[in-house]
Amino acid sequence: MFKNYLKIAWRNLIKNKAYSVINIGGLALGMAVTLIIGLWVQDELSHNNHFKNKHKIAQVWQSQTFNGNVGTGQALPRPLEKALREDYGDNFKYLVMSSWTNDHYLKYGEKSLSRPGNYMQREAPHMLELQMVKGEKDGLREINSIMLSESAADALFGTDEPIGKAIKVSNAYDLMVTGVYKDFPYNSSFNDTDFLIPWEKYLATREWVREAEDSWGNNSFQMFVQLADNATMERVTATIRDVKKNLNEDTAEFNPQIFLLPMKDWYLRSNFEQGKQSDGRIKYVWLFGIIGAFVLLLACINFMNLSTARSEKRSKEVGIRKSIGSQKGQLIYQFLSESFLVVFFAFIVALVIVLLSLNGFNELARKEIIFPWNRIDFWLISLVFILFTALLAGSYPALYLSSFKPVDVLKGTFKAGKYAGLPRKILVVLQFTVSVAFIIGTVIVMQQINHAKNRPVGYENEGIIQVPTFSQDFTGKYDLMRSEFLNSNAVVSMSSSSSPTTQIWSNRGGFTWEGKPEGFQEDLAWTEVSPEYAKSLNLKIVEGRDFSRKFASDSLGVLINETAKKYLGMPDPVGKFLKDDDEEDPNPPLKIIGVVQDMITQSPYEPVKQGVYVYDRFNNSSYYNLRLNPKKSSSENIAVIERVFKEHFPDIPFEYDFIDEEYGEKFASEERIGSLSGIFTALAILISCLGLFGLTSFVAEQRTKEIGVRKVLGATVFNVWNMLSKDFLKLVTISCFIAIPIAYFVMNGWLQDYPYRVILEWWIFVLAVIGAMGVTVLTVSFQAIKAAKANPVKSLRTE
Amino acid sequence: MLLQLNNIFKWVNSGGQRIFLLKDINLQVEEGEFISIMGPSGSGKSTLLNVIGMLDTFDEGTYDFLHESVHSLKEKHRANLYKEYIGFVFQSYHLLDDLTVKENLEMPLLYKKFKGSERKAIVADMLDRFNIVGKKDLFPTQLSGGQQQLVGVARALIANPKLILADEPTGNLNSQQSEEIMELFKKLNEEDGVTIIQVTHSEQNAAYGSRIINLLDGRKVEI
Repeated sequence: MFKNYLKIAWRNLIKNKAYSVINIGGLALGMAVTLIIGLWVQDELSHNNHFKNKHKIAQVWQSQTFNGNVGTGQALPRPLEKALREDYGDNFKYLVMSSWTNDHYLKYGEKSLSRPGNYMQREAPHMLELQMVKGEKDGLREINSIMLSESAADALFGTDEPIGKAIKVSNAYDLMVTGVYKDFPYNSSFNDTDFLIPWEKYLATREWVREAEDSWGNNSFQMFVQLADNATMERVTATIRDVKKNLNEDTAEFNPQIFLLPMKDWYLRSNFEQGKQSDGRIKYVWLFGIIGAFVLLLACINFMNLSTARSEKRSKEVGIRKSIGSQKGQLIYQFLSESFLVVFFAFIVALVIVLLSLNGFNELARKEIIFPWNRIDFWLISLVFILFTALLAGSYPALYLSSFKPVDVLKGTFKAGKYAGLPRKILVVLQFTVSVAFIIGTVIVMQQINHAKNRPVGYENEGIIQVPTFSQDFTGKYDLMRSEFLNSNAVVSMSSSSSPTTQIWSNRGGFTWEGKPEGFQEDLAWTEVSPEYAKSLNLKIVEGRDFSRKFASDSLGVLINETAKKYLGMPDPVGKFLKDDDEEDPNPPLKIIGVVQDMITQSPYEPVKQGVYVYDRFNNSSYYNLRLNPKKSSSENIAVIERVFKEHFPDIPFEYDFIDEEYGEKFASEERIGSLSGIFTALAILISCLGLFGLTSFVAEQRTKEIGVRKVLGATVFNVWNMLSKDFLKLVTISCFIAIPIAYFVMNGWLQDYPYRVILEWWIFVLAVIGAMGVTVLTVSFQAIKAAKANPVKSLRTE
Repeated sequence: MLLQLNNIFKWVNSGGQRIFLLKDINLQVEEGEFISIMGPSGSGKSTLLNVIGMLDTFDEGTYDFLHESVHSLKEKHRANLYKEYIGFVFQSYHLLDDLTVKENLEMPLLYKKFKGSERKAIVADMLDRFNIVGKKDLFPTQLSGGQQQLVGVARALIANPKLILADEPTGNLNSQQSEEIMELFKKLNEEDGVTIIQVTHSEQNAAYGSRIINLLDGRKVEI
């Protein structure tokens, strides 16, 4: 019986080629989108899944309250380690202190690279479940050892044996390679960790780290833990919550709350608002999941619409089958197996589409998704997906078609409503509601991105590069390098800074100043710069003056930004002092010599943070900022700069970034969302139009006789076109009225996440409406005009 | 006795008025009869045939088919009943255009859940009996009207029904084709004992039958 059904279905498909192409093509597009989104969602959700103990690993976080604002982050003070180990050690199987992941120079023989890695305590390789390729897993025992990822080892050693060899790190100290581990997978939180060095080495080489041993106020370190077998995240968090507050009086005023962030939340749920875990990336997983579901729904609606529109053609078959003994259930079964066949074909086409577009998608979404050919669960889910889609798309036509009465349809008097029964109208409205909402959403996302992009950055970020200066070699070399670079004629101005221009690496508090309100807990972005900083960035001085090498006293000078002026409550800041409020061991007071324009260092969607730029007395430079000679090409300039750089630092790899590109990175995630939602919207509209196109052609076909009669009676092509298009335009209009409030509500909510946001303007909605109408008119017109131009004699004769 | 209709009424409501399609129809049919239903257009011939064939319902009266009360049966049982005992032949053949002759014949057997080998044997037998073996792989549109109706009759017969209901079976055929079909009916009736009820306009066709029922405005009349 089933074979027979499939045979009929197959012949139907072959006979109505245009219908089949629209039906299968539309469905395949929808399924392809859903599949790709499904793969993406699965990839997002599988982050860190390679850890067998994912559910037991956590990072220790801290919330603190400044002036009523709760700030939450991973940065912890060193004494916390001792406190947790001594008093709460039973709760942890492993407890590992770690530095941040920073680029370091690694040098072996003549080969020199810059790779990111961490200083970690001895148990890290066990907690991180390192898969050893060579050497020993317990490779952090000796202070002068280093463990390398396989890719770093390959790059450094090539075919040489790495184990037991010494490499020079940061151009300062030699470490022995004790182990080589398999690179972390790309969707791992540690995927950029190319080496591990013992924590003890971190202490030995950095005075400030050693000094932080008992400093509860210096939140500069990370801590990872793996829970003991009998411990749970909630219980441990409850026990350690107040440990810092109880042990340290000085920081207790900030109400420090220590808690565990389980590994499963690191990637998707690491946003905190006022100390409460809010969302994070998970909201995009939801967003795209919903888009995928809607696109599939659109494609299924097409299928339903086209199938029921064809009902008149199939009605005779239903009548005959019923009259020779078929029951309703059997007909439902038949139509469902037809829809199964169509869905199955569509799935195969969708697989092809997915395979062809996966590379492009990966590039766009910055993913490395591989098609899961060999995964049984993928195929099982696909089977369920096919069955579900077949049911979703086929249930309505199956129930509708199988309910025809044989007496009615066999008499030949059967007409399936005028042309679009109410359910079909509702489906078209639903389809266009989704499409219009997608259009509006995409336009708003694009607008928001452009809005932020057009925001003035406050300085001139084009034609300027930053060169990292992370090793000791650069100490005391700034003036020399500056004159060398300027003499080379490739650089017109230069400065150094302790953090990159597009980020804030350091924040400070603990000052007093004239007029400081009682109990005010300030938090200032802290950047140490060379005197030429403002000049090299073309950062405007709005009050006072820039640093000058002429005044020796400027080494204790400071520039503040406009936001800081307001924040500190100084109407006339120039000449005022910021004093260290540590009474026993005060640093010398800093004199405010000028106010600079606000420049965007962090998110372009957020207000600029109050910041101070301090004269770099201690050679804390991390970057050279070089403004290139605009009279020459960038590549020429950079070649010269590299040559000069290599003359002085032959052992250090020359690296640079254009600051405007670094700044552009800040838009990457929103741009990705923008282009992805743009593509999905285009596909959604295409699918809806395919459906509309098919529907119009059936309506036109059904009304062939009517159109013939009308033309004989004198209707023009325009009259007929108008008649056929009007009904569809009505439906699209209704869709717009439903879609606009929904889109407004959703997008307004999305924009709330951005303090610096675009204002929703009415023309966006008008544009979407006009767009939807235009697309509808075009689609419908193609068929309508064809029908209207047909010779009435022909159409009437066939009756 | 094959079937019995007692006081059958069927009506539709139109503009507040009740229009009767069938009015107080009493009919008893014995096995082996060949009955012709005659009457002018709109007299209710086809409606009566559809009621007998259980494709249509009625509003009043009782209908017994092989001692089962059709009026009180559920749709599923009713379908089983006519699937088992009744075959239809239509004026416009109503073959499935997407299926070949062979597949059209096979269809009722599928619904009666015959096994594959059995189906093949029965279909081959039927093709042979109607002398259409050479046409078995053609589609209905490739056949003449007479040939299509031949397939229609073969399809009606294939499940071995007790009763064949034919609604103007020769309405679309020329005189020679009509005669062939009527001869076939006569042969089936006489040699195989199949009960036949046909609706017809033609006195000539009616003459093949053993009994004539005349209808006028939904009512049985005597002439």
